[in-house]
Amino acid sequence: MRAVQRKSDARGIRKGFLDTVEPYLFLVPSFVVFGLFLFYPFFRTIYLSAFLTDKTGQPKIFVLFTEMDNYLGLFRDPSFWKSISITFQFVFFVAFGGLLVGLTSSLLTEKKFPGSDFATAVYAMPIAIASAAASMAFKMILHPTNGLINHLLGTQINFTGDVRYALASVVGVTIWLTSGINFIFISAGLRNVPAELYDSASVDGAGYWKKVWHVTIPTISPTLFFQIIINIIGAFQSFSQIKLLTEGGPSNTTNVMVWSIYRDAFFNFRFGSAAARSVILFLIVLAITVVQFRFEKKGVNY
Amino acid sequence: MKQTLLRRHQWHSVGRILLNIPLMLVILIPLLYTLSISVMQPDEIYTNRLIPSSVSFENYVRALTGSYYNFPRMILNSFIVSTTVMLGQMFTCSLAAFAFSFLEFKGKRALFLAVLSTMMVPGEVTIIANYLTMLRWGWLDSYKALTFPFLTSAMGIFLLRQYYLTFAKELYEAAKLDGCSNIRFMGSIVLPLSRPALGALGAYVFLNTWNQYMWPLLVTNSRHYRTVQVGISMLYDIDAYSLGLMMAGVIIVIVPSLSIFVFMNKQLIHGLMAGAVKG
Repeated sequence: MRAVQRKSDARGIRKGFLDTVEPYLFLVPSFVVFGLFLFYPFFRTIYLSAFLTDKTGQPKIFVLFTEMDNYLGLFRDPSFWKSISITFQFVFFVAFGGLLVGLTSSLLTEKKFPGSDFATAVYAMPIAIASAAASMAFKMILHPTNGLINHLLGTQINFTGDVRYALASVVGVTIWLTSGINFIFISAGLRNVPAELYDSASVDGAGYWKKVWHVTIPTISPTLFFQIIINIIGAFQSFSQIKLLTEGGPSNTTNVMVWSIYRDAFFNFRFGSAAARSVILFLIVLAITVVQFRFEKKGVNY
Repeated sequence: MKQTLLRRHQWHSVGRILLNIPLMLVILIPLLYTLSISVMQPDEIYTNRLIPSSVSFENYVRALTGSYYNFPRMILNSFIVSTTVMLGQMFTCSLAAFAFSFLEFKGKRALFLAVLSTMMVPGEVTIIANYLTMLRWGWLDSYKALTFPFLTSAMGIFLLRQYYLTFAKELYEAAKLDGCSNIRFMGSIVLPLSRPALGALGAYVFLNTWNQYMWPLLVTNSRHYRTVQVGISMLYDIDAYSLGLMMAGVIIVIVPSLSIFVFMNKQLIHGLMAGAVKG
């Protein structure tokens, strides 16, 4: 049909050509942006990780698989492994702490009560607050001399500058920041628990905690699993809190991976090494995503 | 009997309220405390009061008029950047989503997978290479650097495509038969009908851009192009005078975010949920 039309008149040919090309024209704006600022820098990062660079980030000496290899340099550096270890601790506490706060707030607002709409809004609110703004607010709260917490405790603890408290402080701030998204997803999950499940559990004489443990949590376990993954991936990307509260310190106790990338690139101007760290960060996040896909296929349910 | 049931119900409500209060305080206190410090007289902050003896807007006036920081310029920058990115994403994402849902073409599946694959790469992984691109192009300290890399997103394309797929295919076919071009069909039918999805995308993208910190920190040096999130951290200094200033800055920055949260709550949460469906 179309072939006939193409033969029959010139307008038909032009139309046919336009029909084939037009869809791609719709994609051009997006793919220009993706190409320049996602695909290109992604491969550029991998490429740079094989080089020693100059101060402007230009690759100078190819060092992959040599003694000067950026990856080898990192693997030999104890502070790199310390950074990995701190990142995993940070991610672990943020992921499960966030989940716990989200689950608690969701259970507390599961049933309606006077003021429950307000409570719901409050629990969701942190999604709107910038990590930088919240970090500044917490900087004041944790302030060694004028801060709220020290004032209430009657102490003068330097929360962000003391090796014992620094990591816990940034974990706490990050849990606050992620509590909103945890609340939104988990309470959405709770709304999908069929009421009959609770009814039959009540008939069996189960108390509140038994119901939560044996009915609610197993039923929403896919939601909880998904939420842990979101928390983990989000936590791996944390930067503002670290930059504004601890700058990776004291003595590297909050030196998480993104901070170490930033420091390698902008304090030491070692862009090759920073790129290698970025590739490693990518591989870790990729591995977690793969695990998520595997589990989602199987379905986390009892 | 009915009386006791009612009473038990009331007790449960009271219990719920009492259980919620501590957790609500934990979430709210950072903001309330910030607000409280921001309206204190500078010397009062030293006295460790929790609530100001009188409300003073001096910190706000100083934050907004201090010529060294030029905070109003940073607020303006953030508005320009967030609005540009929001409108840009609405434009590029609706075009791409239209192609992916209504048009048939070679490589459609592969290209869509390419879009989805971008969700697997955290922005922090490519940030160094992107910074170096800006350096090479001489784009540092410009609106171009702040907006260009964010003018599309897989999340936006995905969100709009999901919405377009709910439209009846017959609608498109009928329009085509009547000789309606794709662009016209999009402009006169698809876009007006997809206002809810565009609203969700817009609210989410505006907020996310407004809240950005790492990228603006890297690509801006001059006060002319700094955005507010970077700006508030510059208000910080050690003396009590600047603590109040900083807290006023935090409140000023949070007001637009909270307004979006309050007035566009549904759209925002819709966008957020679409954004989180990724790896």
